[in-house]
Amino acid sequence: MKISIDIHVNGEQYPAEVEPRTTLLEFLRGTLHLTGTKEGCGLGDCGTCIVLLDGKPVNSCLVLAVDANGRRVTTIEGLAEDGKLHPVQQSFIDNGAVQCGFCTPAMILTTKALLDKNPDPAEGEIKQALGGILCRCGSYQKILNSVQAVGKGERK
Amino acid sequence: MIRLKAFSYFEPASLKEASEILTQHKGEAYPLAGGTDLLVRMKREAIRPAALVNLKRIRELNGIQSEKDGGMRIGALTTIADIENSTVVHTSHPVLAQAAGVLGAQPLRNLATIGGNIGRASPASDMAPSLMVLQARVATEGASGPGEREIDKVFAGPGSTTLSDGEIMTAFYFPAMAPATGAAYLKMGRRSGGGDCALVGVAALLTLGSGEARAVRIAMSSVGPTPRRANKAEAVILSGTITEERMRDAARVAAEEAAPITDMRCSASYRKEIIKVLTFRALQEANQKAQGGQAT
Repeated sequence: MKISIDIHVNGEQYPAEVEPRTTLLEFLRGTLHLTGTKEGCGLGDCGTCIVLLDGKPVNSCLVLAVDANGRRVTTIEGLAEDGKLHPVQQSFIDNGAVQCGFCTPAMILTTKALLDKNPDPAEGEIKQALGGILCRCGSYQKILNSVQAVGKGERK
Repeated sequence: MIRLKAFSYFEPASLKEASEILTQHKGEAYPLAGGTDLLVRMKREAIRPAALVNLKRIRELNGIQSEKDGGMRIGALTTIADIENSTVVHTSHPVLAQAAGVLGAQPLRNLATIGGNIGRASPASDMAPSLMVLQARVATEGASGPGEREIDKVFAGPGSTTLSDGEIMTAFYFPAMAPATGAAYLKMGRRSGGGDCALVGVAALLTLGSGEARAVRIAMSSVGPTPRRANKAEAVILSGTITEERMRDAARVAAEEAAPITDMRCSASYRKEIIKVLTFRALQEANQKAQGGQAT
């Protein structure tokens, strides 16, 4: 059984036929080849597969592609504009927040969603927002610094 | 990569249709709400549904509304994040927002729903204790028409409810909180600030009148096969004026009447200690809030 869906990803419509068991994560990586979104545990524990669904961070391993039909998805590939990195991406580079990079797309997307809602979050709010993502390199302090740097007005 | 096994998929637009599909499949079809628990259990092959019935396109299952009498209605498909951030909830039944705010991590709360959390009947539910102290009523729709039951009558055992095949929870109704009432939900996990599974969760609600408790309700999760009330501890609170000593006594009794297990998260004896600490703190917090004069 295949079902027709039409998902809006990074500003473009992607009509497709998917099996109901296809997760949004599998659809993004396997069908659209947007491999910036990572699969870690696949069970909602590690947070590395987070994308923005209608602007809110969600674990894409726990969303069926059919369920994202007609909705708006933003992945890490959709943040840079006209070859210019998003301020959060730039801040992660400037502050050395990227080690192996596996959790970075999820960290950056979640940060973007937080700052869109609250441009200057308190430290506790940042920790709450990013609490669902594991960084196996343990770069948490530098990630926190990067988010705070954007929050302090370096963001345009 | 963990792939889901194949299943047939339905996306009904009405409750009637959803209920019919679920009834026809006689327990082989599962309703899909947020998916944060269902899809995990399917990936782990703890369950293998022949069909999923996605309830998200049924409009009447969404939303939070105040009711005229100070009560509140929350649609079963309302996300935990929407409850956490709702002004209505913060104004009329804030303990529910407190509980929602410590359930899993934020991205999960954007998906998870209150109906899913209760329907899953996890002994460790973070929402159940607050619903129990608020005396929520659960509205259902099924083959035999609409139904309603108290939240205390929903849980049958770990992972099982008293709902029949094809019976769908549609909304939760919360009666108004009485004046001079305070409530709190406290949870102990392995990480501070919530985000993970509760080792123990305790909700307490107190209504005060001239130094005594006019009403008290205490409910606990992760302390037995289902979330449950601590009736004996409640009786201790009702036996006289509210003092710190009486709250400590009640907390000790709550730990005695609970029957927690030892599992990979922690031991039963450790859980008993946590019940004691959390019940005392939840009663203290509820008492302070009740003294603030407002229903908080």
